[in-house]
Amino acid sequence: MLARALAIFLRPRNLALMACVLIAGWLVFVPLAALFYTAFTEDTGFGPGPASLSNFVQAYSSWHIVRLFGNSLIFAAGTAVLTLVLGGLVAFVVERTDAPLGPLFHSLALLSFAIPGLLTSMAWIFLLSPNIGWVNALMKEWFGLKEAPFSIYSMGGMIWALSSHYFPLAYLALGPALRVLDVRLEEAALVSGARYWQVMPKITLPLLRPAILSTMLLLFMLGMSSYEVPRLIGRPARIDVFTTEIQAAIQNAPPEFGISSALGMTLLLICVVAVFFYRRATRNAEAFATITGKGYMPTRIKLRKWRWPVAIAIMALFFLALGLPLLTLVWQSFFRNLAQPFIGSTSPATWENYEFILRYPIFLDAVKTSVFLAAMSATLVVVLTFVMAWIALRAAPKSGWVLDSLAFTPIAMPHVIVGAAVLFAYLMLPIPVYNTVWIILIAYVTLYLPYGMRFISSGLTQIHKELEEVAEVSGARMRQIFLRILLPLLAPVLLAAWIYIFVLAVRELGASVFLVGPGTHVLGTISLTMWEEGGSYGAVSALGVIQIIPLIMIVAGLRWLELRVQRRSEAAAAKAQAVG
Amino acid sequence: MFAIENLRMTFVAPGNVVVNAVDGISLGIGTGKLITLLGPSGCGKTTTLRCLAGLERPESGKIVIADQTVCDTENGLFVPPSDRGIGMVFQSYAIWPHMTVFENVAFPLRVARDRKYSANEIKERVLRSLDMVRMSGYETRPATQLSGGQQQRLAFARGLVREPQILLLDEPLSNLDAKLREQMRVELKQLQTRLGITTVYVTHDQSEALALSDEIAVFNFGKIIQRGTPQEIYRQPKSQFVADFIGSANFIKGRVKDVQVADHTTLVETGHGLFRCIFGQAVTAGQDVLVSARPEDLMLSDKPPGDGFNAFTGKISHRVFLGEVVDYLVDAGDGEVRIRSKPEAEFQIGQVVHIGVSPQKCVALPS
Repeated sequence: MLARALAIFLRPRNLALMACVLIAGWLVFVPLAALFYTAFTEDTGFGPGPASLSNFVQAYSSWHIVRLFGNSLIFAAGTAVLTLVLGGLVAFVVERTDAPLGPLFHSLALLSFAIPGLLTSMAWIFLLSPNIGWVNALMKEWFGLKEAPFSIYSMGGMIWALSSHYFPLAYLALGPALRVLDVRLEEAALVSGARYWQVMPKITLPLLRPAILSTMLLLFMLGMSSYEVPRLIGRPARIDVFTTEIQAAIQNAPPEFGISSALGMTLLLICVVAVFFYRRATRNAEAFATITGKGYMPTRIKLRKWRWPVAIAIMALFFLALGLPLLTLVWQSFFRNLAQPFIGSTSPATWENYEFILRYPIFLDAVKTSVFLAAMSATLVVVLTFVMAWIALRAAPKSGWVLDSLAFTPIAMPHVIVGAAVLFAYLMLPIPVYNTVWIILIAYVTLYLPYGMRFISSGLTQIHKELEEVAEVSGARMRQIFLRILLPLLAPVLLAAWIYIFVLAVRELGASVFLVGPGTHVLGTISLTMWEEGGSYGAVSALGVIQIIPLIMIVAGLRWLELRVQRRSEAAAAKAQAVG
Repeated sequence: MFAIENLRMTFVAPGNVVVNAVDGISLGIGTGKLITLLGPSGCGKTTTLRCLAGLERPESGKIVIADQTVCDTENGLFVPPSDRGIGMVFQSYAIWPHMTVFENVAFPLRVARDRKYSANEIKERVLRSLDMVRMSGYETRPATQLSGGQQQRLAFARGLVREPQILLLDEPLSNLDAKLREQMRVELKQLQTRLGITTVYVTHDQSEALALSDEIAVFNFGKIIQRGTPQEIYRQPKSQFVADFIGSANFIKGRVKDVQVADHTTLVETGHGLFRCIFGQAVTAGQDVLVSARPEDLMLSDKPPGDGFNAFTGKISHRVFLGEVVDYLVDAGDGEVRIRSKPEAEFQIGQVVHIGVSPQKCVALPS
């Protein structure tokens, strides 16, 4: 009996399952445990002491905490609403009207992933700062205003800076729901006697409610976790939110790890609750089985003479939100001093900023480190989640939910939480990774587990199980099935996941700020340091442009590849239909 | 040949309901025969097939394929699917989209472990296999550029290329359109007889089962309800389920009056009078039964039928012209009966008719 149980335990797939659970469990729970331990023990200054609630008393007893709550909630909720409105507008136009340029908007939305949040924040300061913002200067000159009409250093400014960066995400999240919404459900309402204006509130919106709700929650969580905008814009404006306070506590002298983790508890709780409702909303979305793609014939709203004006308006939105900041950054990178477009600069245009950056030793160091970390974390995540997804979906579908939940847990952990928790964990554990690139790697792998799992498990569900079973029946062993069937079939998905994670890791900041040391720099942290410690406007901008260009090229390449694969499979399908 | 002994497998359905997917199945057939596992969806036929392939691990039971025991839960023996030497065709065909037609068929030879195939041998066998299913000339075609029927043939070629001991077919024709399905059915039967390969065929389509099988096993709720040749299953169903699932049948309520063991008939008292019936399962006097009679076996006439027939009268209440046959619904006082007849003799709605049916075509079933 015992021997039988041992034999079952030692089956390769069960061993692999155990190994995955252990690795993923370690990555997720060790840092969390360290965070909790640090929060609920006394902060002695030399590591955690006896159990105590003193950190909470200290962190939550001043009136400051009320403001922190207020700011965080308003910022996150405001961003969620504005982002949803802008993204929903784009989604509606692209998916439900016959306005042209839909594919272009889709590509532009994907490109927005390539842009680091730190750099858009800088760019918005160049645009809308009361002192140096060129839009303000232009307004003053044109309309003879005494005061700058806009200020980025305000709650509204912060919300705009983040929303303008994230609205493509809302479009990408809402688009599929709008696309597969069966028009016949709306037509049935019209035929049943409803007027056009009744269909939207009574049929369309209720059908879309799960999608809208889940997108809102996702955006709220992203707002809560956002670090770049609060750090660059919120801090000078004295608008503090949880993410910045958690990090600031660590930079105090002496560093207040206890307070940092006590504040982290609240942020974590808010995000866990949001994720809980998010998953519930998305689960309900699947229950709306009426919204299927089957037999669906797209009928789009005919805009007639408004087709082009509407498309141009959407184009203008993309230009305003993403194009303008990028162009401003590029413009500034050619001048040493502040250079306001249409206003002028005290110095002539020059390449010297680029020459400076490209010879700057720390920059070259950071490039190497960032690329190494991004490539390593992308590879590790893809390999780990490939095995995890396969086990969860195929080998052990009954216990698969364990792996699934494990891999998705970090979704609820903002980057600053992962950064702080990983820092605390490896300060306590006798594993010598502190102050090396390896501690950053651990944090990155944890952060991107959910993305890898999402990509690969949805890719794997597209592959019919029978394709593997028939290989097995044909005499193939596990290894051969992996190499000859699964790997080639999944290659595009694995590549997309790899590139996506690579890009996200290169632009990472929130966790890195906790983990970089004197010897380790990543692109995000050196950009931040240069901005805050008085690098010239030109040098900082050049540093940003040098980062953005390769990232945009990578994402554009990925999109091109995706479109090619899509076109090829469509052509193949058409051909098959022709011969059939 | 293959033999299954006392196969058992349970699933936990949503809501923690334990379902006996396969509930003590024993089954087998000789070399070169085709057996069909027939039943409604969820009856356990596919699970049985997957146990045979090794894609599912039964909780208990023993499976022997071509004299080799591949699964015996008592001794903890389980041969993985890759080592069972079987060919299989799936409902979805499962053609690998990243390979050409040639590579799809060559795969079983390339991964074979019992012997190494040379490039020439692989080529020869693949071409022979493709020729068998009339797919010569398609070798270099990417598998994605095939029609449904061609994918179907390709799946067969791949299943046959190793010259397996046993061929497992999981509803292989159900994704084809009606015309193609009938054509493939004939080809499949010809191929199977020519190769003399032991075949297990899973389907829920009774006409496929009747057309193809040497033997049919009718499944329901994880059990085999009845086994026999297509003729036996059709002519002598042992239960209402089998009579109803295979073909269509009229069920007439009655009570057994007398059993005559000598000629295997029984007299049944029905609402239409006394019926002489055959029976598949023993009945006793006084027992409530259903008399099953197929619509095409009931004969309509304006005169009473001759001696030896079970006879009653009724009034035509509905009439559907279907071209080769005409379907009537006849009100016979004690319920309606369906009758299918040739279109030569026409009866009008409202007409009073005589109905006759041979005792050999009436089966008394325990109700």
